[in-house]
Amino acid sequence: MSTARRTAVVAVLPALVLAALATGCGLVAQPDSTAWDDHAEQAVSDATSEVATARLALETARRERAWSSYTVVLVAQAEESLGTVQDDLSRLQVPPGRDDEAARLDALLDEAATAVEDARSSAVEGRYDDRRVLDALDRVTGRLEDAAGG
Amino acid sequence: MKRYLNVLLGVLTAIGGFVDIGDLVTNAQVGARFGLSLVWVVVIGVIGICVFAEMSGRIAAVSHRATFDLVRERLGPRMGFVNLVGSMLVTLLTFIAEIGGVALALQLVTSVNHVLVVPFVAAAVWIVLWRAKFSSIENVLGLLGLTLIGFAVALWQLGPDWGELAASLGEKPAQESWATYAFFGVALFGAAMTPYEVFFFSSGGVEERWTRKDIGVMRANVFIGFPLGGLLSVAIAGCAAVVLMPQGIAVETLGQVALPVAVALGKVGLAIIVLGFFAATFGAACETGLSTGYSLAQYFGFQWGKYVRPDEAAGFHVILLVATVLAAGVLLTGVDPIMVTEISVVFSAVALPLTYFPILVVANDPDYLGEHRNGRVANLLGVGYLVVITLSAIAAIPLMIVTSMGQG
Repeated sequence: MSTARRTAVVAVLPALVLAALATGCGLVAQPDSTAWDDHAEQAVSDATSEVATARLALETARRERAWSSYTVVLVAQAEESLGTVQDDLSRLQVPPGRDDEAARLDALLDEAATAVEDARSSAVEGRYDDRRVLDALDRVTGRLEDAAGG
Repeated sequence: MKRYLNVLLGVLTAIGGFVDIGDLVTNAQVGARFGLSLVWVVVIGVIGICVFAEMSGRIAAVSHRATFDLVRERLGPRMGFVNLVGSMLVTLLTFIAEIGGVALALQLVTSVNHVLVVPFVAAAVWIVLWRAKFSSIENVLGLLGLTLIGFAVALWQLGPDWGELAASLGEKPAQESWATYAFFGVALFGAAMTPYEVFFFSSGGVEERWTRKDIGVMRANVFIGFPLGGLLSVAIAGCAAVVLMPQGIAVETLGQVALPVAVALGKVGLAIIVLGFFAATFGAACETGLSTGYSLAQYFGFQWGKYVRPDEAAGFHVILLVATVLAAGVLLTGVDPIMVTEISVVFSAVALPLTYFPILVVANDPDYLGEHRNGRVANLLGVGYLVVITLSAIAAIPLMIVTSMGQG
């Protein structure tokens, strides 16, 4: 490599690193309205997936088609992932004028997290047919589907 | 009779050993999200791995030397080093993912957090690499890996509308973008053509002292075993497409990969599949661990292999130990093995030209292969695949960035 080219590489690399740090490593991400919509849509889709996983895991265990440790692991991982979905969304700065929408989404994700947490608790206790838990999962699934459709 | 049994054993272990953590996760993710619309990529990937595995197997059988050994000699130390770095980093990443996969499989049975299991898995892998015979590793884990046929049984038991399933072949779901479709296509291609498979195959040929007489058996293993192994990949995607896709479940854990089997076959089927997860990931952990040792030792000219006593190949065994400790160390940070798997299949696609171009060059060299050098068909396929591989390698990183690792 020639000296001039080596100098150029040495100059460009730190500049790229600094640019990446400046644009991508802020403590709080501040997406524009469209980007926030994309994040919100992704959060709803991820939450739907976790709730459906918990529901199917409980249903499979209720029909005695899966053993308890497997069911517990599956539902516990869904609970953990849902927590990550909530955390990731809460770190986004809400665009101006979208506070109500953000609060509704936050409440919906909270409801989903509570339903999956209850499902995990039931799974640990070996209660796979608790109607209250299953109904809560079904209810929140419906709301998540409405949110995705809207 | 013994010869036929050897062919059968080779084919069965090739099928059982074909699927690893990358295939398990990527095929289930793709099936749950795209149905069977990306099966054509698996077909292209399986034909590709057959083309290059046959070349590297032929090189081993005729020259009695493994890939890296010849790449350095034929293309020089600089090209050899580029080849070594690219391929070995991906193999090491895959090794980490496989050890994590074993821990995740054990977590499904014990419900003990996989991070706590990692040190024991790493120790077990190292002991097997150190003490077990090469043929035992290949045959026992390869045959146990056949239990993944449970996915095909589960798919049949689920009784899908086969016409509807067939109609989804090649048809991108309307809600998915072309960029995401392409990203998962590249990931699936990377998973099917993982570089370590070829290194392990050719080095294994040297370990088992293949000669020209074994070329027929080697070809049977490749051309029968690998495509049948590829069918397991399609069955994994099919199960996910039938059970998970309609419910909007995106695959992020190994437990979700097994869920369709539990639905279809119950506890016994689930147990068989989890055993298959264990065998496939443990087998692939041994293969990737050995491949790391093979590639470094072959490049630097150490004595290597399981066919010599450990004290005669001390450098090779030190590499295996260091790689195992490194893999365990990475996993003990709490990094998600599934995320490591996702990254490893993408970077596998990036490293493919570095791995397969030198094999094509060596396979054409009459000094090494004489009358067994590539014919017209092998070269036509090899060059065609190099074009596909290069396009996929160029596209992999931009697609990963644009789609945020396939999120949207």
